[in-house]
Amino acid sequence: MTVKFDKYILNNGMVIVGEPMESVRSAAFGFSIPAGASVLDEGCCGAANIIEDWIFRGAGERDSRQLSDELDGLGLHRSSSIGSSHLSLGAALESTNLEKAVGLYADIILKPKLEDDQFELAKELSIQSITALDDDPRQKVMLILRELFYPQPLGISNIGHMEDIEKLGADKVRDILKNNFNPSGTIFSVAGKYDFDNVVKQLESVFETNEKLAKKEIATKPAVNKYTHLHNEGAQVHIGLMTKTVPPTDKDIYNARAALAVLSGGMSARLFTEVREKRGLCYAIGARYHGLKDTAGIMCYAGTTPEKAQQTLDTIITEFNRLKEGITEEEIQRAKVGLKSSLILSSESTSSRAGSIASDHYLLGRIRSLDEIKEKIEEVSVKSIQNFLEKNIFEDFTIVTIGPKEVKI
Amino acid sequence: MEFKKTQLSNGLNIIGEINKKAKSSAVGYFVKTGARDETMEINGVSHFLEHMLFKGTDKLSAFEVNEAFDRTGAQFNAFTSEEMTVFYAAVLPEYLCEVTDLWSHLMRPSLRDDDFNMEKNVIKEEIAMYQDLPNFDVMDRCRSMHFEGHPCGHSVLGSVESIDKLSAVQMRSYFNNRYAPNNMTLTVVGNFEWDKVTDLAQSLCNKWQKQPVSRETSHFEGSFKKQRIIKANLASEHICLISSGVSAQDPRRFAAHLLATIIGDTCGSRYFWELVDKAIAQCAYMQYAPMDGTGALYSYFQCNKENANTVIEKTNKIFSEISGKGVTEDELTKAKNKILSSLVIKNELPMGRLVDVGFNWIYNSEYLTVEQDMDAIRQVSTEDIKLLIDDIQPAQYTHFSIGPE
Repeated sequence: MTVKFDKYILNNGMVIVGEPMESVRSAAFGFSIPAGASVLDEGCCGAANIIEDWIFRGAGERDSRQLSDELDGLGLHRSSSIGSSHLSLGAALESTNLEKAVGLYADIILKPKLEDDQFELAKELSIQSITALDDDPRQKVMLILRELFYPQPLGISNIGHMEDIEKLGADKVRDILKNNFNPSGTIFSVAGKYDFDNVVKQLESVFETNEKLAKKEIATKPAVNKYTHLHNEGAQVHIGLMTKTVPPTDKDIYNARAALAVLSGGMSARLFTEVREKRGLCYAIGARYHGLKDTAGIMCYAGTTPEKAQQTLDTIITEFNRLKEGITEEEIQRAKVGLKSSLILSSESTSSRAGSIASDHYLLGRIRSLDEIKEKIEEVSVKSIQNFLEKNIFEDFTIVTIGPKEVKI
Repeated sequence: MEFKKTQLSNGLNIIGEINKKAKSSAVGYFVKTGARDETMEINGVSHFLEHMLFKGTDKLSAFEVNEAFDRTGAQFNAFTSEEMTVFYAAVLPEYLCEVTDLWSHLMRPSLRDDDFNMEKNVIKEEIAMYQDLPNFDVMDRCRSMHFEGHPCGHSVLGSVESIDKLSAVQMRSYFNNRYAPNNMTLTVVGNFEWDKVTDLAQSLCNKWQKQPVSRETSHFEGSFKKQRIIKANLASEHICLISSGVSAQDPRRFAAHLLATIIGDTCGSRYFWELVDKAIAQCAYMQYAPMDGTGALYSYFQCNKENANTVIEKTNKIFSEISGKGVTEDELTKAKNKILSSLVIKNELPMGRLVDVGFNWIYNSEYLTVEQDMDAIRQVSTEDIKLLIDDIQPAQYTHFSIGPE
């Protein structure tokens, strides 16, 4: 399975990467624009959320309605997300419409209308999405967890802070957009069925500029990192817990991934077995890797009724600590098969590949082939994980709970 | 792509769509049983059984089952709806037989008392989890009210009370009837060898006993009642409307799918322009749910409490315009493009294909290629949609809301 990746860099630094896929009729593409939640001006938390809505309310010659009709006419499935470093806009569609779709997105990024009356609507929706978070404690607990875990503002909420967003005006957000929608730091990725030469020609004609803008450095403050409880008379206590591990660029990343899979890979992994199967404490329990460029953590979630909350938390922390006491050969084998298999299963999805190659390029400066990742997973052993765990103990836990009852730390 | 089918002498259906170009395959046991096949006394038993199948057989403990799946790297799980319980796995082709073997054994579980008692805790946690998801909660309550007196109104999860009272004996008796081979379909798609799968099923499933199995499948219009309940901890209003729909067997199901997209897709639909674009609702969508012998159109809205009346007024206006004038050619074309491309994208993954192939077979005893499904969408006209609207009258609906004081 040797895949050749496509890559081209414009003079201004904008990167274009692609992964051709056989036997698909679809293509997925994405623009990762360096306007993520943590890079925007201080006190403007939520601006990215407004921008993500506002730019779709008319672009180029089209008003909001015409733009939406054209996008829908192409049958494309939009997806956008706001990360710590990037705001990503993308879509998946039948590949015959790719060129038209990329053209529309170029207008949305470069020539959004940004009208004042549309701003008020975009802002109102962003405010509502912050309110809506109160009715989704599971999502909210993880959002607050990232804010407290990472050095500020790296984990800042991608939805927004009410006190900031209420103060934002159209001019301020226009400025933020102008300063951050920068082709120099943008990565375009495409996967599936496409013609790379055409893609490059099209993007070059609209995104090429003479100036190469410098990358913005973000000044960080230490993480807050203390136990936080929000009271809510819901049915469950929602527990979020995060602890430091190696970033995606670290040579030990595959050891970290495999150790995490032992803890929370499949259903035979330790957290599921100990918390749910043996003790019946939770329905939802799991941990996953969350990595930014230079810092990363393992994020764990559990939801449980109030009287079981303390035991749930204690059992989870015991399992984190027990990892360093030893891992069996069978556990490692299952972890490795699971990692390799999910890699291959997701490789059939054009959206998933378009996302992966963009993130590889951003985090590592290059795209890893499936073969390379498989090889690295193969190299992991009981010994290598033990060495890794000795150097990287899980000792500090950032913990957030939402629900009717607090836990003791 | 090649379609294959066979039936064992005990009635177990086996169907497969072979795609040698796929990098993976997917396998599933589709059991035609769900909340609508329960009595209120044992409400929640189908979903509880779904959990219990993972607890193993006379030869395998729960942990050994999980280990066995994880050794293959399978992405496996199960889901229960009002009318179907599906056990599935997406897996690399070299492990397909091993995983099919495992599922086949699990279809004859031991349903041990101690596992049953421990799993009750997990089920009750799952019920609590959904209570904290008002978008789910409001749909569930609205469905029960809409299908009042009809078995489709039964909750999939059951209640804490019904789960507390449920006995392992009741569960075994339900299992013995509903998991009869003639009520099950083994579906396999993607890259696999058909003969190996059928040989395996033949040797493992042939001794399962055929049973008389039935289901009440009358059409139900709906109660069209209205209710609001208060939950003090909520910040927004959550509204669900359910209108009558056509069944999974009805040839008009393609038109119904298009109608729901035109009225309530998450972008570019009538709901979008009237409610979300204008920031009256933060979220508004409509989904078509085809069911066995009946169907429903679900609308969901999330908004500030102050906007709740406006949302309903605007929605009524949309329904009345659609009932009077039907939909435009332009709207229909956009909706077709969206559905066609989502069919292409979804069916590029064996896991996405599995559910479509399995459901088509169970409801209609027919195999439709992706291309045939796409053609059926392409052929729907604005006239077809108008006739559908005249018949189902979406402006009549059951209305349930949950919101703050």
